Amino acid sequence: MIFDLFDNDYDEDGFRTCNVTGMSIHRSVENPVKVFGLTAVVALVVGGFFAIGVALTRWEFVGLLGPEEFYRWLSLHAWNLLIFWMVFMEIAILYVGGPMVLGRRLPIPKIAKVGWGTMVTGALVINYAIWTTEAPNQAPLLTSYAPLPSSPYFYAGAIIFILGSVVAALPFFVSLWQEKSWGEGGSLPLVTFGAFVTSIIAVEALLGGLAVMVYAFLWRIEILESIDAAVYRQVFWIIGHGTQQINLVAMVTVWYFLTHIVGGAEVVSEKVSRTAFVLYIFFINLGAAHHLLSDPVVSISWRIWNASYAFYGATLASLIHAFAIPAGIEAGRRRRGKGGGLFGWLTNAPWKNPVFSATIFSIILFGFVGGITGVVMGQVQLNMTWVRTLATVGHFHGTVALGTTIAFMGLVYFVIRTMFMREFRFGRLASLQPYLYAATMTAATLMLMYIGLLYGVPRRIHSVVRDIPGTDFSLSAAEPLMMIFGPFALLAIISGAAFVVVALASVLFGERKLPGSDLVPDEGVEFESDEPVHKFDMRGTFVITLIFLGAFIVVYIANWYLLSQLWSIGP
Amino acid sequence: MGSPIKPPDEDWWDVPVNRRESIWLGLSVAWSMILFGWMSLWTRIGDQNPIGETYDVSTEEYQEKVESYREEAETLDGSIVPPSDDIYVAGIRFQWRGLPVVVETGKTYKFHISSYDVQHGFSIRPEDVLSQHTNLLALPGYEWVIEMEFDEPGTYHVICNEFCGVGHSSMHGVIEVRDEVNV
Ligand code: HEM
Ligand SMILES: [Cu+2]
Repeated sequence: MIFDLFDNDYDEDGFRTCNVTGMSIHRSVENPVKVFGLTAVVALVVGGFFAIGVALTRWEFVGLLGPEEFYRWLSLHAWNLLIFWMVFMEIAILYVGGPMVLGRRLPIPKIAKVGWGTMVTGALVINYAIWTTEAPNQAPLLTSYAPLPSSPYFYAGAIIFILGSVVAALPFFVSLWQEKSWGEGGSLPLVTFGAFVTSIIAVEALLGGLAVMVYAFLWRIEILESIDAAVYRQVFWIIGHGTQQINLVAMVTVWYFLTHIVGGAEVVSEKVSRTAFVLYIFFINLGAAHHLLSDPVVSISWRIWNASYAFYGATLASLIHAFAIPAGIEAGRRRRGKGGGLFGWLTNAPWKNPVFSATIFSIILFGFVGGITGVVMGQVQLNMTWVRTLATVGHFHGTVALGTTIAFMGLVYFVIRTMFMREFRFGRLASLQPYLYAATMTAATLMLMYIGLLYGVPRRIHSVVRDIPGTDFSLSAAEPLMMIFGPFALLAIISGAAFVVVALASVLFGERKLPGSDLVPDEGVEFESDEPVHKFDMRGTFVITLIFLGAFIVVYIANWYLLSQLWSIGP
Repeated sequence: MGSPIKPPDEDWWDVPVNRRESIWLGLSVAWSMILFGWMSLWTRIGDQNPIGETYDVSTEEYQEKVESYREEAETLDGSIVPPSDDIYVAGIRFQWRGLPVVVETGKTYKFHISSYDVQHGFSIRPEDVLSQHTNLLALPGYEWVIEMEFDEPGTYHVICNEFCGVGHSSMHGVIEVRDEVNV
């Protein structure tokens, strides 16, 4: 049975034509995609499990764990979800966006295996290091801020994992190089281009990560005598932030891919969308500076220039995609005769297909919840009221736990149907799951933001709402909102578990079947018509994006108002 | 045509852009400029800016500064009364050295913020209005001098909001703001 997971009907050369996408898929690409995808789901299970202890401790009404355990669980939560779940998925996305879309074999497949093995080793070492943390070492959390010492195995594991990721990305680069030297010339498909941009940003991030982890490791094993806390922070955020930009760009690429295949979306302007990706290459990594906004050492002009991605170049890029992707759905569906009124193209869309609903929720929630707050808290002065509070945690659960995680869940559903060729087990649950997770996680995320912003409740702290040891003072005014946060956090974890149940049950016990036409629009994925797509009406999208801009402006003004209430700080 | 998984038509650069998409592009550029412009402007006209000089300082040097400051200072109800406009604070696991301190409304103080050991988050809020809070980083090896002037009297609580070890949640200190401080 387990072997049949890795076998489809390939021809003599090992190729098959996908009856959903029409792509020509080689065995050497498809199997690593499955392996990386499954590994990612395992990391999701582990990280999701640790979310239970994190949420039930922060909800001090329950107060599940003692401090030592809490920081340990929080570290495991962060590393397994933010790093392992995401990066294993991203390597799979590189293989899909590169060789699979291009209809090529995976070059140097052995290297892909070595990369996977190295990454798994690194992930295991890190989990072990965190789990066995003992004084004088402290749980690293995500950042392992020096000079707080973590277990030396932790830094070693991080170095191994980073190296593994670079190795695993190599086949992707080789396939692009092959396409450029042997292919037909011309431009890469947009999805491949997006994957390429992702990989460039990834290389920059990983090199920074290697530098900082080697630096910290040498200090921790006492080859270097001291470590500079400011230098550590600056270099750490090259990878700490860079990986988030990988998540972002990979997610945007997945949006273009899945809305096209399951929603009938088209690219309304290659010029505009590609320009937006290029803006990412130039500007997005500057944003690492927004982790140093309420820091000493770095000058104010440096902070303003970098944290704003030089005049908001990367924000502009995201605003462009925010229009281009829904517009692609709208114009694409109108072109297929699925329009009707302002929003008919949206209401008659395949909402029961979890691949579709997950993708749409990811787009909306990333924008409204994660995106807006990210820009707001990325402003130098506003940062003082967000940073190191639960509002920050709310922001990044908006980006990674809503945006990226939901998009990747959709992608896993898609891989189950089209590559594992399984029907869903618990089909109704599968249809419902994106709704459940999106709704409950949104509620929990919003609560985190309010709790952080309105009551100044710090992040990364064992107890502070009910009890600050040694004083009568506490932040108990935040208790009512915490009582909403706690149950929704639990429901979000359960909805995440529902995803895992559906995914694993389908892969292992699902009926094996060629994916049906229920997955794609009635007219098939590629739709030919004389009328070019940019001529179709985009007014529905225009209305949605105007609402988005309106929400952005309201949140922006409200935050500046809150800040202006503070006493005077600075010159 | 229009497929993101097929190479685009050769003339993709010359394909016109939909009017509404062009308008959105214009709005986006304008909004980006406003974001940048307002943030920059606030450094000139605004009252809340995380701006101040940073000095390299060794832990020992900073310890000396803090201790001589404490010796010079008088106390009032157990709180330090700063002898001049300089106030020294150091994070050390798990307390705030230099707190509690008592200050006057309407007077500009220079807060010197640093740490003796690891990173700490220097986070201040008035007891009654929790939505007013601010977060500044205390870094070992660096002395950050940042001005503050309080306009409302009251008890301001300082907690640590950067993880600094298992006892982190017990790090608490007080800034007492009074209309007049008479020793
Ligand atoms: C399933 C529901 C989830 C719940 C209930 C949850 C809950 C939380 C909470 C309450 C915190 C803050 C703890 C603190 O700072 O004291 C936290 C931190 C964090 N979470 Fe989640 N989370 C969930 C899913 C995710 C997902 C899917 C990701 C990433 C893809 C993620 C990544 C992180 C990271 C990176 C941190 C910060 C760790 C640090 O401070 O170093 N979480 N989570
Ligand atoms: Cu602390």
